[in-house]
Amino acid sequence: MATVWRSQRAFARFFVGKTARILNNASDLGAKLTTASISVSSKQNYSNYAHSPFVKNIKEQYEFEIVKNPPEWAYVERLMPFETIPNVTPKAAYPSGWIPPKEEARNLPYFIARTRNHQLPIYLDLSYRGMRKISMIKKIDGDIWLLNDLIKEHLKKTQNRYVETRVHELGRFIEVKGDFVTTLCNWAYAQGF
Amino acid sequence: MGSRQITEKSLVMLRSLPRLSLANIRDNPGSKHYPKRGRGQHSGDKHGAGNKGSGQRQNYMRLGYETGNNPFYLRMPHEPYYRGHHHRREYPPISLLEIQKLIDTNRIDITKPIDIASIVKSGLYRFFPDQKHFGINLTDEGVDLFATKINIEVQWASELVIAAIEKNGGVITTAYYDPHSLFLLKNPKKFFETGQAIPRRMIPPPDVIEYYTSAEKRGYLADPEKISQERLRLSQKYGYELPKLETDQYFNMLCERKDPRQIFYGLEPGWVVNLKDKCILKPRDEELLQFYAS
Amino acid sequence: MSSNLLNVFKRLNITAATQIRLCSSVSNVVPDNREISVTKKEWKFPPQYTKPREVWIENLDTIEEKKLGLFELHPLVYATVPRIDLIHRNVEWQKKYRWVSWAHTKTRAEVRGGGRKPWPQKGLGRARHGSIRSPLWRGGGIVHGPRSGKTHFFMLPFDMRIHGLTSTLSAKFAQDDLHVVKDLELPTEEPAYIIDLIESRNWGPSVLLVDDTDYAPRNITVATDNLPHVNIMPVYGLNVYSMLKHDTLILTHSAAQKIEERLLIHLHSSITEQQMKFKLSQV
Repeated sequence: MATVWRSQRAFARFFVGKTARILNNASDLGAKLTTASISVSSKQNYSNYAHSPFVKNIKEQYEFEIVKNPPEWAYVERLMPFETIPNVTPKAAYPSGWIPPKEEARNLPYFIARTRNHQLPIYLDLSYRGMRKISMIKKIDGDIWLLNDLIKEHLKKTQNRYVETRVHELGRFIEVKGDFVTTLCNWAYAQGF
Repeated sequence: MGSRQITEKSLVMLRSLPRLSLANIRDNPGSKHYPKRGRGQHSGDKHGAGNKGSGQRQNYMRLGYETGNNPFYLRMPHEPYYRGHHHRREYPPISLLEIQKLIDTNRIDITKPIDIASIVKSGLYRFFPDQKHFGINLTDEGVDLFATKINIEVQWASELVIAAIEKNGGVITTAYYDPHSLFLLKNPKKFFETGQAIPRRMIPPPDVIEYYTSAEKRGYLADPEKISQERLRLSQKYGYELPKLETDQYFNMLCERKDPRQIFYGLEPGWVVNLKDKCILKPRDEELLQFYAS
Repeated sequence: MSSNLLNVFKRLNITAATQIRLCSSVSNVVPDNREISVTKKEWKFPPQYTKPREVWIENLDTIEEKKLGLFELHPLVYATVPRIDLIHRNVEWQKKYRWVSWAHTKTRAEVRGGGRKPWPQKGLGRARHGSIRSPLWRGGGIVHGPRSGKTHFFMLPFDMRIHGLTSTLSAKFAQDDLHVVKDLELPTEEPAYIIDLIESRNWGPSVLLVDDTDYAPRNITVATDNLPHVNIMPVYGLNVYSMLKHDTLILTHSAAQKIEERLLIHLHSSITEQQMKFKLSQV
């Protein structure tokens, strides 16, 4: 209780001009802090037992009101975490460079599903101190062997050399030997995945 | 066509196989690596421990000991490169590009003011107040392609970043949160479940009060007139037309700012939020009201 | 005997085609079109590529099978590639995590005796020894032996547990061992009724009934009470081991709905408390 009083007195000097209660989302408050407003009073030494006044009227229970369905509940809802990652609503443009998946991609014989964060599941696996680079395409559905042939063809054209791949049917992924993540991502975006 | 599809193929295959039961399942071959026991000429006999000495007798010398001579870790005298590191504040960075990505993928709501709580809620910002993290440092990666009008509140921003946001018609403020408030902002649900009253936000410490009272840094304690002067100055420096906020349809949202003693938007200190019964307990006592208003 | 043969023939029936439609086990019952209700679902996470599965909603009221409706199931839960290795890991986890090994051996300090040096170090021509209970001695202590109360607790990663559940559900569905039932209301409380029902419909001898709530109707509870191979379970008790142990899995319509909902939320959510790495030091 006593600490409540002390802190009130301590900060009263900082907010000299504020008489009103705190408002919700007060816009542009002019609370200016200058060196003049900070001063230490030496008349009463609260940390000294002899000078410290006795606490009067200790309340057991403070009065409060319960507001059911308050209008500020929207602000509380805003603070609650997402239950599931929100779906992306279609927008005119995506300045960050994120490309949305297309509906036509579902008609192809193969399919690369997006991750739960709406990104392409194409990753770079580095091992042996960065010497071994493997590009991995995960979450593949449909005809994986056809997809493998198409990827090999595309990489042969762009890289002017044969590129080794590994197909894992049970794990539903394709590993490409080398760092071709950007090329593969661009190819996937072109297909509409 | 059907037999080449992975899922359909595997499910069709299952139909022709015996019923899946506890007796016919196994792990992938090669997935379990059992430790090899030392037996035979090479790994047997002394089992890799050598002859005599502390090695074989499992009475090892302490790490760094060099059998008597002055060890490396004691040769160099104390050089206080990290003195006071535990007193320094850290502001983990997040770039404008990241913010744009979060906006594009709907993880941040731009129709409401953005603060540290909404960025942490998106799930893609690593923030640990218990590790001396004091807030968001908005970096300038992606300053060229940032194109959204937002009302954002961070803890540290450079001039270029401020210019980029204001160029797009947005509003940026730098505000200070004490560590206790940061814990609340990181996990508001956990805090509300404790049943405590929302505390007041503390004022900035002396070494950083100047930062938060300067209009150049859009501090939350700065003079609004000076801030508008600074906005003009920046628009002239970087050569863009200062957008008029008054005529904007989101003018009210862009003007929303928190009181210096407020932690959450819309919720005053002193209130107790009851998530289960969906009600808020507000103090009516004069003492409490005075305390929380101070 | 004939029902077993029928089962075998059913197993060998390889259906081609891109979509797998669940054929009714007793095909001579022609569904009455007027009573059928086809529930077209509004998907919260619409199926991307794999087609959703359709399943009949059956009844438990009569021994004879009646189809009360058609129900759609999400492919991400009921038509995934069945990962047998993940199913195995889940079963292994379920068996081991609660196992406490009570085997115990004494070390050389705990074996009675052996405080005194048996004979002097030098002079006797015998090997040098410090105590008669050293591990070298017969009757001596055991080095690195089992120590009582050894727990084998570990938590399988959250995603592995989720995929274990989806794989088992998909496998059960693909092998015609999954049936959706409207509710668990029985006309009588005689166990013979349930046994007859299971026999006539060619469901495997052991049946796991999964309901939405903890409490089941009285009739079915009494009927299955003394039958060890027919068990009722609430939705939150669904686990890979039980699903594999029982031959057939019967879900109520609301249970199937709930399972799908919860699993889809876990497959599409950001890092939640459940998904974070399990720490033994959690408060």
